[in-house]
Amino acid sequence: MSTSSPAVDALARKVRDGGRLSRSEALTLYTEAPTHLLGRLADEVRAARHPSGVVTYIIDRNVNYTNICVAQCNFCAFYRPVGAADGYVLGFDELFRKIDDTIAVGGEQLLLQGGHNPDLPLEWYEDLFRAIKARYPAFRLHALSPPEVIHLSRLAQVEVPVVIERLMAAGLDSIPGGGAEVLVDRVRRELNCLSKATADEWLDVMRHAHRAGLRTTVTMMYGTVERPDERIEHLMRVRELQDETGGFTAFISWSFQPSHTERGGAEATGVEYLRTLALARLVLDNVDNLQASWVTQGGKVGQLGLSFGANDMGSVMIEENVVRAAGAAFCMDELEIVRNIENAGFIPRRRNMHYELLGDPIVWERDVPRMTALAEARAVGDASVPEELVRYRARTPTGKRQRAPR
Amino acid sequence: MSDDASLAELRETLAADGGLEEAQVRLLASADLLSLGVLADEARRRRHGQQATFVRVAEVAVDASAVETPGRAREIRVTGVPASVDAAETAVRAVAGQGVPVTGFALHDLMGLANGHAAEFARLLRVLGDAGLVAVSELTVDRTVDPESAVAVVADAGLAVSRLTIQDARGDSRLEWVRTVAGWSFPPKAVRAFAPLPRAESGATPESEPATGYDDVRQVALSRLLVDNIDSIQVDWALHGPKLAQVALTFGADDIDGVPAVDTDELGPRRTSVEDVRRNIRAASFTPVERDGGFESVTR
Ligand code: SF4
Repeated sequence: MSTSSPAVDALARKVRDGGRLSRSEALTLYTEAPTHLLGRLADEVRAARHPSGVVTYIIDRNVNYTNICVAQCNFCAFYRPVGAADGYVLGFDELFRKIDDTIAVGGEQLLLQGGHNPDLPLEWYEDLFRAIKARYPAFRLHALSPPEVIHLSRLAQVEVPVVIERLMAAGLDSIPGGGAEVLVDRVRRELNCLSKATADEWLDVMRHAHRAGLRTTVTMMYGTVERPDERIEHLMRVRELQDETGGFTAFISWSFQPSHTERGGAEATGVEYLRTLALARLVLDNVDNLQASWVTQGGKVGQLGLSFGANDMGSVMIEENVVRAAGAAFCMDELEIVRNIENAGFIPRRRNMHYELLGDPIVWERDVPRMTALAEARAVGDASVPEELVRYRARTPTGKRQRAPR
Repeated sequence: MSDDASLAELRETLAADGGLEEAQVRLLASADLLSLGVLADEARRRRHGQQATFVRVAEVAVDASAVETPGRAREIRVTGVPASVDAAETAVRAVAGQGVPVTGFALHDLMGLANGHAAEFARLLRVLGDAGLVAVSELTVDRTVDPESAVAVVADAGLAVSRLTIQDARGDSRLEWVRTVAGWSFPPKAVRAFAPLPRAESGATPESEPATGYDDVRQVALSRLLVDNIDSIQVDWALHGPKLAQVALTFGADDIDGVPAVDTDELGPRRTSVEDVRRNIRAASFTPVERDGGFESVTR
């Protein structure tokens, strides 16, 4: 497949020869290469890295323990300010029930993330993690993205490595790569998320986590105010840290979901998603795994991601709240994920967060009830306050009032 | 199709507008998705260059009591099954004469109104043409008896068929329908578009697994490569959603049907504006061109 651009043809040859793309080369490919060529190159790189033809997925549950957040990123439809009537914190018992449900369908991990709630001190997280590990010793906690870790470090007034150490001691197994958005401070300023973490701070949390022995993922939310060269800057910063630590297991990109957000606007298109995914596969030559984001792109374009560099269908997430708040509500249960993987000509295998293969699909082994919609954190209108919260010191007047003895 | 020599040979045959041999069709059908996409994209560019067309449609139910058509519609489409010839004619007259091409009905429903009598069917089409109809909206290939003859009668009456559709086909029968359509012959411009993605999309029962993204873009690509007798390969904005419709443009489709003439919340996340359509077409590296229900470019 040659194009009308000698520069693009030369870069395609470079990729095929195993060369590493520079910033400017990546930008040329991203902005000038035909979509099919980008896909073809990404597919070749994916096939060379994963020659067995296996496409993986994980059964886990994406739980948001609180929606109360002081960060107020303008792209977020999920958060509620302190004192909002529909703000919530999940109780330990609610979380245990969610874990029971997850284990029942073959899941082995919680992806646990939430807002920056000033009334949840570090001790609450430590106690929660310990309680989960005491009840479910083999269950994995993939929890707290870098901005949450930074928030806890500021709240507890201890350094980030200390927060990580304490959380690991309590049971943290790995860190999800959320909150990266685009790792360029100009972009973060415009998204009102610079104060939750600068690009350097975000990467620094991951550096500390990797040094402490944790594996993490890394994400990119594109399609807001960033330019193409800033998307590439993001990929370059990820590649540099991966060269240094090797701690990222996977890269996950998705488009900004504008509905119900302060920022609003239009969503990046499906073709842009496939091009961005393909480019990530070409630039991130040191990251093994790329996920297809069916949650934001829908099952069909999500599946097409398997021809544009992805080797993983992400998660049978059982529950999802953040993307749903912004208007996307796609659902795929294990049967559907497996069917899509096979339909695309690949071999489906379950994995854990470390991308170790766990085995064949559960649905091949036993009947699992069909899931036609993702669960929500809480039923609408449930304003209950968990009992155990009184044990923790609140910082805001609202939190203090809620926890005052009656 | 990892075999570069076979790919090159196929590409030459397609570029020379030559018919494909059975072995070549089989090779195409088993080709990997991206190879197929490249060939289909080349084929659609040979026909349509950089252009991708779209049409804003106002649907009007055949039995609607009050008819108000939005000003931005470029096609008024009468939908539903008419109870009688009179009802069909009345519905067309109610929306005709506004300077917007009127299409309507499924061909098999009109044949049903004529009780299968050829002369009666021809007369009905003339009545509707006189009332202001420019085209029958759709010919559902898996619902219509003897489609070639039916299209000839439509053309004789001075009308066109806007598009061929497939109501419900799964698995191998999807490709079979593409091959069947490719084998038909029609008078020039009698059929304007082929919409190859089956319209029934149900995963309600285990036997009716919904089509995947791979299934859909393969179907679009194979349609562009095999169906030489119809100019446009069409996808539906409202039915398939912006993302799949846009990706289909890079796999051989050139026309987007079903863009709503008014923004409406009823479409939920698929709510759209004409700017969204244009943006999606541009982001797929094509030039958006609005057309009307008569397949004429709109310059106003
Ligand atoms: S993205 Fe996260 S940090 Fe930002 S407002 Fe939403 S919940 Fe808070």
